[in-house]
Amino acid sequence: MTTATTPQIMTTGARSSWMRRLGTESAFLLVGLPLAILSFTIVVTGLSLTASLLITLIGIPVLLGTLWLVRGVAAVERRRLGWVTRAPMADPGYRRRDREAGLRGWLNLLRDRQPWLDLAYGLLLFPVALATFIIAVTWWATALYGLTWPLFGHALDATKSPGDQDLPRLLGFQSYAGRSAFYMGLAVFCAVTLPFVVRGLTGLHVAMGRAMLTSDVAALQQRVATLTASRSAAAEAEATSLRRLERDLHDGPQQRLVRIAMDLSHAQQRLDDDPASARPLVDEALDQTREAIAEVRALSRGIAPPVLADRGLAAAIAAVASRATADVNLDVHLPDGERLSPSVESAAYFIVAEALTNVAKHAHATHVSVDVRREAEDLVVDITDDGVGGANLAKGHGLAGLADRAAGLDGTLEVSSPPGGPTSITGRIPCA
Amino acid sequence: MRLVVADDSVLLREGLVRLLSGAGHEVVASVGDGTSFVDAVVGCRPDVSIVDVRMPPTHTDEGMRAAVEARQRVRGTAVVVLSQYVESSYADDLLADGAGGVGYLLKDRVTHIDEFLDALNRVATGGTVLDPEVVAQLITRRRGPLARLTAREREVLALMAEGRSNAAIAQRLVVSDGAVEKHVGNVFAKLDLAPSDEDHRRVLAVLAYLRD
Repeated sequence: MTTATTPQIMTTGARSSWMRRLGTESAFLLVGLPLAILSFTIVVTGLSLTASLLITLIGIPVLLGTLWLVRGVAAVERRRLGWVTRAPMADPGYRRRDREAGLRGWLNLLRDRQPWLDLAYGLLLFPVALATFIIAVTWWATALYGLTWPLFGHALDATKSPGDQDLPRLLGFQSYAGRSAFYMGLAVFCAVTLPFVVRGLTGLHVAMGRAMLTSDVAALQQRVATLTASRSAAAEAEATSLRRLERDLHDGPQQRLVRIAMDLSHAQQRLDDDPASARPLVDEALDQTREAIAEVRALSRGIAPPVLADRGLAAAIAAVASRATADVNLDVHLPDGERLSPSVESAAYFIVAEALTNVAKHAHATHVSVDVRREAEDLVVDITDDGVGGANLAKGHGLAGLADRAAGLDGTLEVSSPPGGPTSITGRIPCA
Repeated sequence: MRLVVADDSVLLREGLVRLLSGAGHEVVASVGDGTSFVDAVVGCRPDVSIVDVRMPPTHTDEGMRAAVEARQRVRGTAVVVLSQYVESSYADDLLADGAGGVGYLLKDRVTHIDEFLDALNRVATGGTVLDPEVVAQLITRRRGPLARLTAREREVLALMAEGRSNAAIAQRLVVSDGAVEKHVGNVFAKLDLAPSDEDHRRVLAVLAYLRD
C-alpha cells in the first residue's frame, strides 16, 4: 500500500484508548456476519439464476443485476473497513457504461475486472466472516462467562440433571473453588488475549478488503482528488482574504490619508492670510492621522499578527483571548518553545481569533473556553461558548473561509451550533 | 535630558530626534539596530533611551531584547520601548527585573507630544509607564478579584498600572487628591496588596498583581 492510505489499524490507536478500539473492532466483526450472509445469498442466488437462464439470454441482465447488487455490498464493506481502520478506503473506480454503444455498452461492463473481484469477495466474505464471528463471540463469551462464573455457578449446579458434566470436572477439578479457579483462569486468558485476537481477526478482513476491494492506483487517485480540492480551497481562501484586505485598505486608511492631505493643503493655503483658521484643520488632520495608524495596525494584525511570528501560537492566542469581550477560559497544551510550521500556527490562530470575533458579534455568550492541544500528528483547537448558537459554515461567513484555510492544510473544521447553543468549533490541522 | 534613540526607519528616527530636540532635549546617539543600541547605551549612559521593537536583523522583537540586554549591562538604565502594536506578553519581559525605569508604549502615543515627553520624564526618574492598551489587556486577563472593584476603582487601577501618580490620576478623572487616595486604598484592600506610599513601588505592586 502507498503511504497515502496506510494508517494501519495497529498504529492509529495512539489516538484512542485500546478499549474504544476493542469496541469498534468487535462491533465490526459482529455486524460482518449478517452482511456476509446477505452477500453470500445474493452471489449464490444470482449466479445460479444466471447459469440456469444463460441459454435464454435473460441470464445476462440477471448477471448484471447480481454484479450491481454485489457492488453495493462492496461499497458498504469499503465504508466499514474505512471506519474500523480510520483510513477511508478508496473506491477503485468502475468502468462506466457507454450510453451510445447500446447492448455492447452493457456487455462491456462484464469486461471490467472490479465487479468480478467484488463478486469473489462477496462469496469469500461468508466463510471468513463466519469464522471471525465465531472466534470473536467465543472469546468474548468465555471471558465474560468465566469471570462471573463463581457468582452463578451454584445456581447452575442446583438445576443440573444427574450425570451432567462440565469441563473442569472432567479435567479433575471437583471442588467449587477449583472449578471457579479453572473458569476464571480460562477467562483471564481470553480477556487478556481478546484485544489481540479481535485485532487479528479485523486485520484479516482489512487485508482481504485491501487485496480485493481497492487498489493503489485508486488510493492515489483519491488522494489526488482530495489534494486538488484542498488546493483550490486554499487558493479561494487566499483570494477572498486579499479582496477583503483591499476593501478594508480602501475604505479605511486610504480614505483617511486623502482627507488628511486635503485638510493639510487647505491649512497650508490659509497659513499666509489667516493662520488662526488653519489651526482646527491641523487638529483635525492630526486626529485623522491617529485613526489611520490605528486602522493600519488592526489590518496588519488581521493579516499576520506580529506576536504570532515573534512568540508563537500560545502567546498569540493568549493575546487574542485577552482582547475578547466574553470571559475566556484558555487552556493551551503545547510544549514550551516548540514552534509549528507558520501555516499551521496561522490557521490555528485565525480559527481562534475568528471564533472569538463571532462570539463577540453574534453569540451573546458570557463564557468561552478555548482549548489547544496536540493529538497524535494533529493540532486541535476547540472553541466552545455558552451563547445562543446558530453559527454555520455557509458561504460568505467568516467560518467558511476558515474551513477553506483548514482544508488547504489537509485539516478540517467542524461547527456544532444548534439554535439555542452552545456553539462548539473544532479545527483539526495535521502538523506532521 | 540626554537620550539615545534607536529605530531602523530613518523617517521616524529623524522625526523623533527633531521632536526631542525641539523640546530642549539632547539626542546623544541615534542608531538603527539592536546591537548598536546596546553599545550606544553602554557608551553614552543616557538619562533615558527610546527603542523601537522591530529592527534588523530579525525584524521581530529585536528592540525588546536589546532593551533587556542594555538594562543588564547598565543596571537600571531607563528605557522606553516603542512599538506599532503592543502585547502584554512583551511587557512581561521589560517588567521582569522589577527595577522600574521602563516604559512600553504604542508608537502613535508620540503624536501626543506633551504626554509623551511626560512619560519620558517619569521613566527617566525611575517610574514605570505602560500603554493603556497593555493595561487593558492585563486587566481583562485577570478576572476573579477584579470583579469586586467598582467601575471607578477599575479606572483608578488602570491609571495606576499605566504608571500615573495620585495627582495625575486626580487630574485625569477630575476629582480631588483625597478622593483618589480613598479609591487607591480600596483597590489595595480589595486585591489584598500591601499599601505603599511611594508611587513607584505602588505601580510595581499593581503590575506584579496583574501579571501574576
